[in-house]
Amino acid sequence: MKSRKRWIIGAALASAAALVVAGCGGDSKSSGDTGSSGTVTKGGTLRLATTDFGFTNAFDPTGEYLGLAWGYYDNLLTRGLVGYKHRPDADGNLIVPDLAEALPEPSADGLTWTVKMKKGVKFAPPVNREITTKDIVFAFERIGTKSLAAQYGFYFDPIEGMQAFRDGKAKTISGITTPDDSTIVFKLTEPTGDFLYRLAMPAASPMPKEVAGCFTKAGEYGRNLVSSGPYMIAGSDKIDASSCAKIKPLTGFDPAKNMTFVRNPNYDPATDNAEDRSANVDKITIDINTNLQDIFDKVERGELDGSPDTPPSEVIAKYAQDDTLKKNLHVFSGDRTWYITMNLSRAPFDDIHVRKAVNFAIDKASIQQAWGGETSGAVAKHIVPDALYNGKFPTDYDPYPFDVEKAKAEMKQSKYDTNQDGVCDAAVCKNLFHISRNQPPWTKYNPIIAENLKAIGVDVKTQELPTGTAYTTIQTVEKNVPIASNAGWGKDFADASTFFGPLFGSATIIPTGNSNYSLVGLTAAKAKELKIGFPAGGVPSIDADTKACGPLLDQARLDCWIALDKKVMEEVVPWVPYLSANSVEVSGPGMSQYVFDQNSGEMAFAHIAVDPSKQK
Amino acid sequence: MGRYIIRRLLWSIVVIVAVTLFSFLIFYVLPSTDPAAAFAGKQQTAELKAEVRKNLGLDKSKPVQYLTFVKTLVVGDKYGWPGFNKSFNTRDGIHDELFRRLNVTLQLAIGALVIWLIMGVLIGVLSALKRRTKWDRAAMGFALLGISTPVFFLGLVSLFVFWFKLKIAPGTGFVHFSDNPGQWFTHLLMPWIVLALLFAAVYARIVRGSMLEVMGEDYIRTARAKGVPERQVITRHMLRASITPVVTLAGIDFAVLLSSAVVTESVFNIPGMGAYVLQAVNNQDLGVVMAVTVLAAFFVTLASLLVDILYAFLDPRVRYT
Repeated sequence: MKSRKRWIIGAALASAAALVVAGCGGDSKSSGDTGSSGTVTKGGTLRLATTDFGFTNAFDPTGEYLGLAWGYYDNLLTRGLVGYKHRPDADGNLIVPDLAEALPEPSADGLTWTVKMKKGVKFAPPVNREITTKDIVFAFERIGTKSLAAQYGFYFDPIEGMQAFRDGKAKTISGITTPDDSTIVFKLTEPTGDFLYRLAMPAASPMPKEVAGCFTKAGEYGRNLVSSGPYMIAGSDKIDASSCAKIKPLTGFDPAKNMTFVRNPNYDPATDNAEDRSANVDKITIDINTNLQDIFDKVERGELDGSPDTPPSEVIAKYAQDDTLKKNLHVFSGDRTWYITMNLSRAPFDDIHVRKAVNFAIDKASIQQAWGGETSGAVAKHIVPDALYNGKFPTDYDPYPFDVEKAKAEMKQSKYDTNQDGVCDAAVCKNLFHISRNQPPWTKYNPIIAENLKAIGVDVKTQELPTGTAYTTIQTVEKNVPIASNAGWGKDFADASTFFGPLFGSATIIPTGNSNYSLVGLTAAKAKELKIGFPAGGVPSIDADTKACGPLLDQARLDCWIALDKKVMEEVVPWVPYLSANSVEVSGPGMSQYVFDQNSGEMAFAHIAVDPSKQK
Repeated sequence: MGRYIIRRLLWSIVVIVAVTLFSFLIFYVLPSTDPAAAFAGKQQTAELKAEVRKNLGLDKSKPVQYLTFVKTLVVGDKYGWPGFNKSFNTRDGIHDELFRRLNVTLQLAIGALVIWLIMGVLIGVLSALKRRTKWDRAAMGFALLGISTPVFFLGLVSLFVFWFKLKIAPGTGFVHFSDNPGQWFTHLLMPWIVLALLFAAVYARIVRGSMLEVMGEDYIRTARAKGVPERQVITRHMLRASITPVVTLAGIDFAVLLSSAVVTESVFNIPGMGAYVLQAVNNQDLGVVMAVTVLAAFFVTLASLLVDILYAFLDPRVRYT
């Protein structure tokens, strides 16, 4: 999730936090604090602004991959069979029943999931009818419709018959059946322990065929999204849906200007859990304002209540240092890891001792300072953010503390240190391209990385590139980038599978758009196909480990991922993880209750309350 | 005259076609990255990217893509004429949004044009007439300041002072005239002035230079010798002759401004063409980038033609053959 926008947010957060001195925020590392103040009252308008919606699929939930959009869907517009509490920390990452009567359990073999749906839940206008399991089936058919370009459709590949449907070989998805209007059965081809997380994704929420079926190209349904949640896009009640030809774009969503959500008259709170969606405000407006500084000036003055954008550095510094504003600074774990990736297919990083030496050599605390200290996040010591392990990952785990002597000791064991002095003396350690970004904080710590690596004889030439170019460069396998520090990765849902699969799975190594930058699991045949070299010692793979963890549930699943995380850090060593990043937001005086939604990584729109008397 | 205009019109078409071709080469052919990658999510399978490419019309050969673009431009599409097809980002027709934004930018540009012409000409004339006095130095100092101060700086400072601190300006945003004429004026006043200051400074220098040149001409001396009142000498003889380069420049500047007020529109959150193209560039929305480029080229060539025609009326020495 979150692709492009997350790059931007990451960059903004980075520069934003840069001026905040560590500790000046006092309570800056919130944990469970909702940031609420004052009395929570129903009603009023939540007024937000953003520089750009940044949607990846024009807000059509079938393909939309932006975290913020998921926040809008899940909090306000679309109810899935299962969902989230829209709360901070580990609690916010837990799956709860939404349209389902109760949390479904898999069959003994883990291949069948039967879900009983609540009755009496209706679509918003213009559909106005009860939601049935047929609407869920239709959502899955949209996922399987090629022209709709479901950007995370691969998460549903384990459903039996999904591929055949996608290829046009079947008219229905054989693995989804609906014995009645309130029962739906999913048959999987392999046990999938995180299936409920997948079911909670917006693409799997019910969609009415009579409207959504009118839109056969990617993104087009976004302007006509029919709500099943407590709010709907303004103007939904004015749409004539009697035929596809009569459907016009909703007035409440102009992708170039604004979005407005109003209460869905068909929403019955009795079918929902008020703890998960308080639905306090009557209306939510999100306007595009191209001036980021102006947005936060307006937030401070009370002319706006907040923004999903990360505040500029001066704003964070001001809020962190000013006692009256401090309560309106909200810092939570962003469930995102920033890291240096090393290419295991090329020298000198084909040698694990070099990779371990690099891990010891990098001064992660200095990089954290370059990001802005603790407000920006904690020093990362492993792959997956702690929040995804529900607090079960050992807090004292630190396999690579900054230690130049240990780094040299590792380098001594490398074949590239022929004279065993702890400094790489091979030609392959010289003039290595290091891809990074051309904006703070990367520009601040690129010299730190270069200097740190020099101590062990690894000489990097940093190429500072714009965010998009840096990503496309490292995503193009043929470019064979040896080392890069521009990348970060955030969860799609709160399971470690969303890290290990795409980042280290051999199946995800593709010529362009590759996300396994380290090429973990590369084989000689694939290397030949991709026209890159293959090291004599081979490249380690974790495919078997990922597959072993995949079917597990609950504690066994957590334990499996934790063990794999340690294995990757100690036996594969593809990365130097350096920052477990935070999400930073500020609110205006008119926001009487701020709540963070751990799942989307944004404010929990479902629980925000405003005090109109404090709004300007 | 008629033949000249027809010839210029034909050349304008050639220029616009050349602009479409070069823009297409720059945005669609030369980049090594696949524009579809921006709309295919975080984990991009080859199949998904191929589908996105197809969705965006990028699956066809480059010549076919270009010819389709030109054809749509000429004959229009379902969103209107001229046709610009769909935005990659919003999946909505570009036509209506483009002309909506052009309307906003026109309001910004016309207001700024009026202010900068008044300021530029007045300061230039004053400076020329009071040559080497403190007025002249002050005016040229102002011109230097105007040229040297970036719009984003001036914009942010004026917002900070007049809106955030003094609370006498309404802040950023755009209000349509039909919604509230008063709010429309007050919301545009600061952007008008900020934008005008940059141009006024340039124009003041040009008018001053031209005026000084004209002041030494024989016909000015003759006019004075004939007893023509000094005010008439200045306005009818000196200013008219000096203003021709201003007219040429103003026409072109105005046309260029229609697509390039990026900074002003971004700082003041005005939903015009500049903000549109900036958003498009950030989102790799190539359809919008092409549309704005072509429209901008059209306005510049049109302005260039009109200015040349106007020139003949202002300066009797210029005649078309």
